[in-house]
Amino acid sequence: MKTSIGIAAAGVLAVAAVVGADSQMVDRWFTDVTRQAGIRHRHTNRIFDNPYAKIMAGYTALGASVAVADFDRDGFDDFFLTDSSETGKNRLYRNQHNFTFTDVGEQAGVANGNDPANASAAALWLDFNNDGWPDLLVLRFGCNQLFQNLGNGRFRDVTREAGLDRYLNSITATAFDYDHDGYVDLLIGAYFQPVNLFKPDTPRFFPESFETAKNGGGVVLYRNNGAGVFTDVTAKAGLKQSGWTLSVGHGDADNDGWDDLYVACDFGTDRFFHNERNGTFKDITERAIGIDTKKGMNVDWGDFDNDGLLDIYVTNITDDYMREGNFLWRNNGDLTFSDVARETGAYDTGWGWGAKFFDYDNDGWLDLYVLNGWVSAGKESYVPDIFAMITKPDIDLSDARNWPAMGNKSLSGYQKKRLFHNNQGQIFRDEARRHGMDSQLDGRGVGVADFDNDGRLDVIVSNANGEPILYRNTMPPGAHWIEFLLEGGKSNRAAVGAQIRVTAGGQKRLGFVNGGGSFAGQSSARVHFGLGNAAAIDAVEVRWPSGLVETYRGLEVNRLHCLHEGAQKKKS
Amino acid sequence: MRLPIVVLLMVLSGVAAAPPSETAYHDGIRELSARNWDRALELFEVALQAEPDNIRYGSEYRQAALLRAKTLHGREGKPEDFDRTLKFFEQLTAKSPGAANAYLNQGFAYVDKIPAAGAITQVILANTALGHFTKSVQLRPSWIGYYTRGVSYLFWPKIFGRAKLGVEDLKTALKIQQEGPRKPYYSRTWVALGDGYWKTDDLDMARAAWTEGLKEFPDCKPLEERLAKQGDDLKSLIEDALDPNKRVDTNLKDLWVTP
Repeated sequence: MKTSIGIAAAGVLAVAAVVGADSQMVDRWFTDVTRQAGIRHRHTNRIFDNPYAKIMAGYTALGASVAVADFDRDGFDDFFLTDSSETGKNRLYRNQHNFTFTDVGEQAGVANGNDPANASAAALWLDFNNDGWPDLLVLRFGCNQLFQNLGNGRFRDVTREAGLDRYLNSITATAFDYDHDGYVDLLIGAYFQPVNLFKPDTPRFFPESFETAKNGGGVVLYRNNGAGVFTDVTAKAGLKQSGWTLSVGHGDADNDGWDDLYVACDFGTDRFFHNERNGTFKDITERAIGIDTKKGMNVDWGDFDNDGLLDIYVTNITDDYMREGNFLWRNNGDLTFSDVARETGAYDTGWGWGAKFFDYDNDGWLDLYVLNGWVSAGKESYVPDIFAMITKPDIDLSDARNWPAMGNKSLSGYQKKRLFHNNQGQIFRDEARRHGMDSQLDGRGVGVADFDNDGRLDVIVSNANGEPILYRNTMPPGAHWIEFLLEGGKSNRAAVGAQIRVTAGGQKRLGFVNGGGSFAGQSSARVHFGLGNAAAIDAVEVRWPSGLVETYRGLEVNRLHCLHEGAQKKKS
Repeated sequence: MRLPIVVLLMVLSGVAAAPPSETAYHDGIRELSARNWDRALELFEVALQAEPDNIRYGSEYRQAALLRAKTLHGREGKPEDFDRTLKFFEQLTAKSPGAANAYLNQGFAYVDKIPAAGAITQVILANTALGHFTKSVQLRPSWIGYYTRGVSYLFWPKIFGRAKLGVEDLKTALKIQQEGPRKPYYSRTWVALGDGYWKTDDLDMARAAWTEGLKEFPDCKPLEERLAKQGDDLKSLIEDALDPNKRVDTNLKDLWVTP
């Protein structure tokens, strides 16, 4: 049984009028509609007031994030934006169904994420109590906030009763059901170790190394007991580590039905954990991806080559002075990955941040949007300062006092974003300029969603110390698509971790319900597939986290389908 | 009769015997062929301790360490694979502070480690290498010293402004080479000098250097390639040649095998 929210594509595809007669504009498929859409938000970095404030300013240009969810369940995705300044408000933009949005953060009770002791860093939607309403976790340098969605447009702060009232310098999180008990658990990544950044009692809270630092905040795995309480099970689950975590991503690497983990760490080695299916994970980093010394900034899982295996894209830092290159980990199917970033053209994206796989042209291949840029300020570069520091013999890098203040200097600033078009899983070609998505702001997080339900994926970008950009996809009609919103029964209600395999036009495509985790960005809970010329679906197979596999036939293309776990079986 | 012959042989062997350093060196080469890595390295170290300034011993020692790293750990080896040579040269130059070629090889030992290291460590290694190349040049100004340091400067990103220092060194190397007999490998100076000019945004001087070099070395492919390319093609050619992530050939054998 399926429920189709009848959103026929034909009726809503009104492209030509939007893009005008100018041939260049017709060729451009994304339009910056931020202002027209009513977005009035500006992120401001936190300014610290402590002896290390001037130094910290260069390393805390963080906290601009975006998280997408249909929080009011009206069939249109909404989004949450964070600020980090002491008096700055976080905003919950409610979708008005006409590509305009209204900030309802204050009324909803989720706007106050900043105060003298806490700075908002990111946000994550999750349905922790399986009531069908997306709840909201605000990650902070300080203590996190968990807001329960009451289903009436308002939220209630349940941080304390949920057991999450703990000092963590959190920066990223993902929610997935690692133990298959039917409730999403919470994996939080922390950047700094849990020192009070606002009043540090030691100057030694900076990374001890640029390549092998182990004095970061690591990760914390909270198990959800199903009654609204989370318990720290990090050590028990085998996830104890102390890297400078920036992004965490879950995905089933070996198609065994259990989601594995990729943890991207700044200043050191990324980690890969295999889910052992008994409530624990095994660190198989060396075997799976090898030991790296790069600056892992973002993780995103997706099957970019349509071979039925989830691959992983990780951004690192690539600039004249530091040529790390990104990772595009092609899944070899045996719990090992090969980095194909260089040969596929996804290697150099500057100082990488958030990145997201999505099929913007509905051709059936996952494209990539990659943000970049650290600090865009004055003309003078901070690079010589930083290298003067690191070439000093025996310097204690963990001591913030040894780091040069950045002042008004720039570091990997004014970098152009990349929109990589995927050419049949072989090569990525940058189309950002063509589509007007090559902003030079200091991008941080990407949220992808079909905000107007027209079958074309739109994009919202958060920028540090800047305004977000909302891009509306205005691609000409033609390519077919299909979209799914899954609801678990035995599985967690949001069906996080469910895999969907769509067979159409002789091609099989794989997608999954992602519980978030990309740096500073969470995309729609829906799973979208571009179908290209395929006007009919042969079969859709859903493998639910519970293990149930259901096959659907005869689903219409160019529609969103809501699939409920177990309903297919009952019908048959 | 037998006794005198033995005595004679002993005397002859004593007269013709290679110095212990050379014996150790050749034994090292033999052990290297047999893939007895540690023994080979030990023997090269013996040779170098006896002759710290021997550029050939130092070069072969580093190549042996590199071969060991690649064989045992694949691709570029592990960073720690290069720590033995670094430590050895550190001790060697401390004991023999006047050995210019020991400093030169010490610098190259840091360069050898670069591709196996992380991006930040690469900078530290490159910077340290430069310090040793400078010491070598200060002790004994030579073509190889100036050429090596000059090229090293070119690998640095523009923002550090070191390419102009590279140009100066390469001009000095050019001057030295023009004062002596012509060697085939001197073409490299022209290539690098042009690259240095290119990196300091002086394309005219770059082309002039490559052109001049091609007159002197008409068969030099790298010079031909550079002169045949323009714009982005030329840029990618030079950036590829000066990519710090790619292993630089630090084998100095041309110095002794080239006539």
